[in-house]
Amino acid sequence: MIRVENLSVAFDGPEVVKNVTLEFHDGEILGVVGESGSGKSVTALTLMGLVADNARVTSGRILFDGQVLLEAGKPRDRGLYRRYQGEKMSMVFQEPMTSLNPTQRVGLQVDEVLRLHTSLSPRERKEKVLESFRAAGLSEEERIYASYPHQLSGGMRQRVMIAMAVILHPRLIVADEPTTALDVTVQNQIIRLLKSINEKENNAMLFITHDLNLAKRICGRIAVMKDGCVVEQGTAEQIFLHPRQEYTRRLIQAVPGRVKKNRSLEERREPGESLGEPVAEVRNLSVYYRESGNSLFDRKKHRCVVQNADFEIRQGESLGLVGESGCGKTSLAKAILGMNRDVEGKILHHTLRPQMIFQDPYSSLNPAGTVGWLLMEPLRAQSAREGARPMTKEDMKEAAYQMLRRVGLEDSYFHRKPSQLSGGQRQRVSIAQALITKPGLIVADEPLSALDVTIQAQIMELMQGLQQELGLSYLFISHDINVVYRMCDRIMVMRQGKIIEIGDTEEVFREPREEYTRQLLAES
Amino acid sequence: MKPGRKKQNPYLIAGMAMTGSAAGLGLLGAFWTPFGTTAMSAAERFQAPSLRHLFGTDNFGRDLFSRVMQGMGTTICISLLVVLFSAFFGILLGALTGYFGGVFDEAVMRVIDAVNGFPSILLALVMISLLGNGRQNLILSLGIVFTPSYVRIVRSEYVKLRDADYIMRARLMGVGKLRILFVHILPNVLPVLGVSLVIGLNNAILAESGMSYLGIGVQPPDASLGNMLSDAQGFLQSAPWYALIPGLAIVWIVLGFSLFGEGLRRLGE
Repeated sequence: MIRVENLSVAFDGPEVVKNVTLEFHDGEILGVVGESGSGKSVTALTLMGLVADNARVTSGRILFDGQVLLEAGKPRDRGLYRRYQGEKMSMVFQEPMTSLNPTQRVGLQVDEVLRLHTSLSPRERKEKVLESFRAAGLSEEERIYASYPHQLSGGMRQRVMIAMAVILHPRLIVADEPTTALDVTVQNQIIRLLKSINEKENNAMLFITHDLNLAKRICGRIAVMKDGCVVEQGTAEQIFLHPRQEYTRRLIQAVPGRVKKNRSLEERREPGESLGEPVAEVRNLSVYYRESGNSLFDRKKHRCVVQNADFEIRQGESLGLVGESGCGKTSLAKAILGMNRDVEGKILHHTLRPQMIFQDPYSSLNPAGTVGWLLMEPLRAQSAREGARPMTKEDMKEAAYQMLRRVGLEDSYFHRKPSQLSGGQRQRVSIAQALITKPGLIVADEPLSALDVTIQAQIMELMQGLQQELGLSYLFISHDINVVYRMCDRIMVMRQGKIIEIGDTEEVFREPREEYTRQLLAES
Repeated sequence: MKPGRKKQNPYLIAGMAMTGSAAGLGLLGAFWTPFGTTAMSAAERFQAPSLRHLFGTDNFGRDLFSRVMQGMGTTICISLLVVLFSAFFGILLGALTGYFGGVFDEAVMRVIDAVNGFPSILLALVMISLLGNGRQNLILSLGIVFTPSYVRIVRSEYVKLRDADYIMRARLMGVGKLRILFVHILPNVLPVLGVSLVIGLNNAILAESGMSYLGIGVQPPDASLGNMLSDAQGFLQSAPWYALIPGLAIVWIVLGFSLFGEGLRRLGE
């Protein structure tokens, strides 16, 4: 039996994990769910003996089949841990690109686990590696054995990581957000794989995620963490059907299920009746990507990333754009924004130039400016461009304060720098910055993906509120079908540079015309 | 680090104290010195440091403390101008090449490669021999020699930042190119540049002293730490303090700026 008892962990400051008790059973997947900073990763790393050296265990202990692995007040026994790591417990990380060594063939990296822990001959080892590749659902195992990480796709890399984790048949597998960096379709394959491995090997699994939906699909029991504490623990059914804690309830509500919150817009129009005038028309648009050479004299390569896109975005609607990464979503968005001139076809704008909300709120705000400066800069650029009727500095300041209040931030944020804000607050500033020049169209490229679930719900609400207030149109790019369903009036599915389906969200969800769409919908 | 407790930064404090005292003395030396920098006194030649002459006197009986004051002022002032010159052109060229790339970038970078191909002091010597002696020419040639390293630093930052989301966004807002270059990007380059500016200041001080030592920088009777060293080398045995004192002054300033730079770097972390 594997138990974490009353574990508390502190770094230099206060405790980040408080009195956490978890129990692992064979053949069961225990999910630990929480937002970023809730201490779930620190718990897992402590359990694995991989936590940083400046972490102190202030209370509790970790038991592994009667053996005390770690106890408060005693230094970590590295020798003991080394015997357990890899052999009896192993870990799958979030980012398969950085957790594999880019300079080594992946076969050898998996082989190393065997070399360290077993006394098999090289041939037996290779046989075993190939076998575990097969078990992890990798066909062409010989080719993969000889590949470098960059030659594999994200999903394949994660399968290699899983092969590495299960090769010694450990008693415990810790998977820390193993699917967060992957596409939806791949995500599902990995989830299924983990589940089948768990059933076959009958081992214990700790599955860490911020995504309650995922936890619901894979976990037998779930522990909800908040601020370092386990606030609620129980079977998945208990947690989802009868949550006892207010926080759990909030988390569950924040998960965008197939519920249409955006009722008002639906009420506004009869089904079938078209929305307002188009704010942007895209006519027979193809976008090319020019691979720039490193040298002055390199021939530039031309690649078509979007083929013959033809659609329009109407006044007051949200048009969802879904598809896997690399399908050309972002290239299309950039072309609409006029940031990619390598295009054929026509883009007609009927309103002010569209603005964009980016995915990563940490890199989309200039770290050198204050919030106020960031909000006034678009206005300054606008009046410099128009020239005729320049806004005074006071007007700009007033407009910036108004916008700040509109996105739900207090006046005091005016003088703060982006580095002093949380992810959600930054995304609010980001939205304010995009809206301040009153553009008719906003292109939002995965605006929620980098945020925690509860924050996601808030930002979604904010975006919907602003849409109704200002009559905005959104082109909403997302890989999360549920978010798109909740946010968008119409939906557009892209695959390999082509728009394969476009229609009313309800219709597309009810009866998708394309096989690919059906697959996308089924998998989330 | 506990909240509320300020991090100690002894590097910054020591560096500021050392450079501050040197710059203060130098500045004062431009207006007033105890004995005047050129006043000779045959009766007081080669006096060891004493209360009357803190640093002693030289072969003409000139007060070394006065001359060190002037010399430090001259050295710091010339080095500052050299660094300002090279930083200005470094930022300008680095920003333009890094942001726009293309043929202009290639051309500038190849010229810079060519300049880097020569030992920098040698190149400065050649330039001065073409332009003639004197402070302006010294500043100009050292400035040109120091520019390439700043161009490289600034350029690499601009290459990195030109595709940042927030710069893309500024373009989307319709912010003008010049404003993007120098209002949106430059503040994010300064922290990186600041540290290398201080290091560059050190190199400039050493280069200026070297050039003056070789007799092609500041011309006598004006004092510079370099030409004082050069004057002193004939009297190493009879009057060791004569060489020691300007040498220590150079060490003092360079060490001060090094500590200052390290302090700045730690402050940035």
